[in-house]
Amino acid sequence: MAYIKLDRLTKRFGKQTAVSELSLEIKENDFVALLGPSGCGKTTTMNMISGLLNPDSGKVYFDGREMNEVPPGRRGVGFVFQNYAVFTHMTAYDNIACGLKVKKVDRNEIERQVMTFAKLMKIDHLLRLNAGNLSINDMQKVALARTLVTKPRILLLDEPLSNLDAALRNVMRAELKRIHLELGQTTIYVTHDQVEAMSLADKIAVMNFAVLQQFDTPEEVYLRPKNLFVANFIGSPTMNFLQGTYRNGEILLKDFPDGRITLSSRNRSQVDGLLRHERVTVGIRPEHLEVVDREKTSALTATVVSYEPLGSETIVYLKTPGGGENILKSIMDSDYRTELNTRKGLKFEESNLYLFDDETTELVMKF
Amino acid sequence: MKQKLYVKVLKYVLVVVIVLLFFFPIYWTLTMSIKPHMEWTSAGGRIYWIPNKPTFSNYTSLFQRKVSVVSPLASTAVRPIINSLVVSVISTALTMVVGTLAAYGISRYKAGGNLPFMLLGLRMIPFAAIIVPVMVLWAYLGFVDTAHGLFILYGLATLPFAVLLMKTFFDDIPKELDEAAIVDGYSNWQAFVKYVLPLAKGGISSTALFCFILNWSDFILALILTDKDWSTIPVYLDKLQSGYVGKLYGPKAALAVIAVIPPVIFGLMIQKYLVRGLTFGAIKK
Repeated sequence: MAYIKLDRLTKRFGKQTAVSELSLEIKENDFVALLGPSGCGKTTTMNMISGLLNPDSGKVYFDGREMNEVPPGRRGVGFVFQNYAVFTHMTAYDNIACGLKVKKVDRNEIERQVMTFAKLMKIDHLLRLNAGNLSINDMQKVALARTLVTKPRILLLDEPLSNLDAALRNVMRAELKRIHLELGQTTIYVTHDQVEAMSLADKIAVMNFAVLQQFDTPEEVYLRPKNLFVANFIGSPTMNFLQGTYRNGEILLKDFPDGRITLSSRNRSQVDGLLRHERVTVGIRPEHLEVVDREKTSALTATVVSYEPLGSETIVYLKTPGGGENILKSIMDSDYRTELNTRKGLKFEESNLYLFDDETTELVMKF
Repeated sequence: MKQKLYVKVLKYVLVVVIVLLFFFPIYWTLTMSIKPHMEWTSAGGRIYWIPNKPTFSNYTSLFQRKVSVVSPLASTAVRPIINSLVVSVISTALTMVVGTLAAYGISRYKAGGNLPFMLLGLRMIPFAAIIVPVMVLWAYLGFVDTAHGLFILYGLATLPFAVLLMKTFFDDIPKELDEAAIVDGYSNWQAFVKYVLPLAKGGISSTALFCFILNWSDFILALILTDKDWSTIPVYLDKLQSGYVGKLYGPKAALAVIAVIPPVIFGLMIQKYLVRGLTFGAIKK
């Protein structure tokens, strides 16, 4: 159980910067998700925390102690790899025991510990089997047990669920949450799946192109994304974006030649104070965009191109009249049906809009 | 579509012909080794496809220090066989120890930069091109007709091949396996020995077999660099002739059969690894 501080970590591979000036503080017993598209530097960050990679600059602290010169085996970290790295030439038991053997733990104690964690992972009946013959799910559990048995202060999980099929993934997600509650290690969890990050983590660190974009609770990341990237990455279906120009309390939209959004006077004065450039992007989440008949709204209209009834909801896809590539998404009730290629009105509350500065891509304000 | 009968027949005939073509030299060597003198020479003007009076005299003559018509050499085949074994085993061991470590370093730590590619270039130089300078160098060092003179050269000659081959085997083993062991507290060396080497067993043993065969069957280097003490089997094979009957094909065949035994035994021992059906199952992609 340790708190972690990363101080301006930077790592380059040749000319490629894998991680740039990353600073993070992770509280004791927190479950933190590192979220981002592949190649954004998540795994490199993990390797630097574990000590498998040395940062080019910057420092790693555990409990306030600098760790840069401490070898991986002495840092008290446990690492579960994306491909599990189970030793297939050994039995499941030997796999789990290997972290204890190197620490010269007494044999009876090893056996006791292995059994405890095998039971925790519900694989105690498989211990005598060759690890190479296990199912992928059981291999995953062996990898977890092998890591947990060494009682790491910090648990690093690198996309541990991405190789499982969808049903098992949900089961293991619940298992991970249970184990974290039971053992309470400080845990860092790498994933590119925002659902995993949102459901498991106490805090989410969103990364892109080697740079930390936002580090906040799942709610904050969802409700107040710091910039266009985070807004686009979090949420499914993704947020709708409309480019436009802000002038005198009005946003003229590129995709709607005859449409505009007129802000209320209270919001207008705020935007006037905050906005530096006139080119902006308006964001609205699909669940806040309502498709209505044309007569019911004054301003914006769009053409229905398709819809997907998903059971619990229906996602409607709409083409904007400006003729651009931008396809809007709207989440409607499960019984919503409409004819294709009909012109519909778009309805939304001003309070659900996000305003991004197009030049800096930063969030200017959430109304 | 059903094949016409004559197509089928033609196919099988072709297969049989090719099989016969490949197996005939083996058959000929085997039978030749048990033919008596009169049958393996063409002196009688007849070709014996099947040995008429099988005998082991070719084999025994190899090991008798008796100067006769069919065994004119003062030395027996014992020493060349021992020489070949000593030199091939030591050089293979050398190559494997150095090669395994080098290949691991190149695979995991990108050691040596462009070295792997240069090794490949080294492989392209034919022996004939380097044999004269090597001869001069070896003579200067006093390595001619010594065991170490041969096994050092054999070890060097097969090293590039071994390194390149084993690098691909190590590349196939996910580096997360070593990393998992290192995070657990093992040193890099322990991780390599305990967790990577066992998984690379298949690759290592097939590489070893290949190097062994290369060393075992080498003729040109041994011919030039040895004189009498450290002649190997291929060199001794060449020497099996007499002024009276010319090439001693019977004893040659017998020695060839003997020479085949060690690689075959080695091959059988590691047979299960030779099939690269090795699933490096830790990775499910």
